[in-house]
Amino acid sequence: MATVIRRLERSDEVGGFDCGDQPLNSYLQRHAWSNQEKSSIGVTYVAVEDQADRKVLGYFTLAMASIPRDAFPPKHVRGLPAYDLPLLLLARLAVVDSRFAGQGLGHALIAEVFRIALRLADEVGCRCIVTDAYRERTGWYRRYGFEPIEGCAADGPHRMFLDVRTVREAKRS
Amino acid sequence: MPTNTKRKRTAASAVPRARRTKFQADLAPAEDRTVRALKADLQLSSNTDFLSDAVALYGWAVSERKQGHRIVSESADGERRILVFPRLERVAPESALPRVRIEWTPRELESLAELASKDAAKAPTGKLIRAMRD
Repeated sequence: MATVIRRLERSDEVGGFDCGDQPLNSYLQRHAWSNQEKSSIGVTYVAVEDQADRKVLGYFTLAMASIPRDAFPPKHVRGLPAYDLPLLLLARLAVVDSRFAGQGLGHALIAEVFRIALRLADEVGCRCIVTDAYRERTGWYRRYGFEPIEGCAADGPHRMFLDVRTVREAKRS
Repeated sequence: MPTNTKRKRTAASAVPRARRTKFQADLAPAEDRTVRALKADLQLSSNTDFLSDAVALYGWAVSERKQGHRIVSESADGERRILVFPRLERVAPESALPRVRIEWTPRELESLAELASKDAAKAPTGKLIRAMRD
């Protein structure tokens, strides 16, 4: 049975979603739909088994963000575009539980993130992908080329960066 | 007998009455019809009773959302619908709300600027290349 990744739909079964992390479970169950359909502040993509029930096996949420040019330290703005820096925020990424560990679901989800980032970069402009990774997961993101952003709090998630040009280069390779 | 009655009246008047507040609302015709229909359904004859019950229900809903609890209706076949009422969401705990706004420290901005302003982007990793081919 194939797994498909698509936008979250109202009738998707999210109530039993358990990735072992309460904030990630809670976000999908309580906020993902309203953030997507009512507020339009972020879109959630879910992995579901094709032709099966609508049980969500994994998800990620994307939102757009930008940083005003004048927020950057003056000595670093020279190499930046003369406008706000547009970025894609990978706000959440979770896979349901250990039954799917090693089956490539996380890989499939992040690959979809990259494809969306490229489409965004081509159609509306997007310079990079930023995510706040749990510290124990930074190695996983590094394997895809994410680089740590320095200056994060020592006890919180680690903010990471991936240049869209790197993703574009990967597509050409 | 008359003396006894007088004493009772005196005792009753000695207890201070709780001050009642009047509540007046301007309702659109449709809302007025809804209120009348609800009163009929609930077999309530007075507006006071109606308002009192409505306040109790609203108070309960606010208290549930303040604790971060969801208000759910469940049909006989198990289909669940979650109440999303914007005014109630205002009292939900801040921690339960999704984090969308990104806060940046000066050092993070400096680091991001260094990464984003490079002339050439980093070469893709093998895993990233595979992800783009899959």
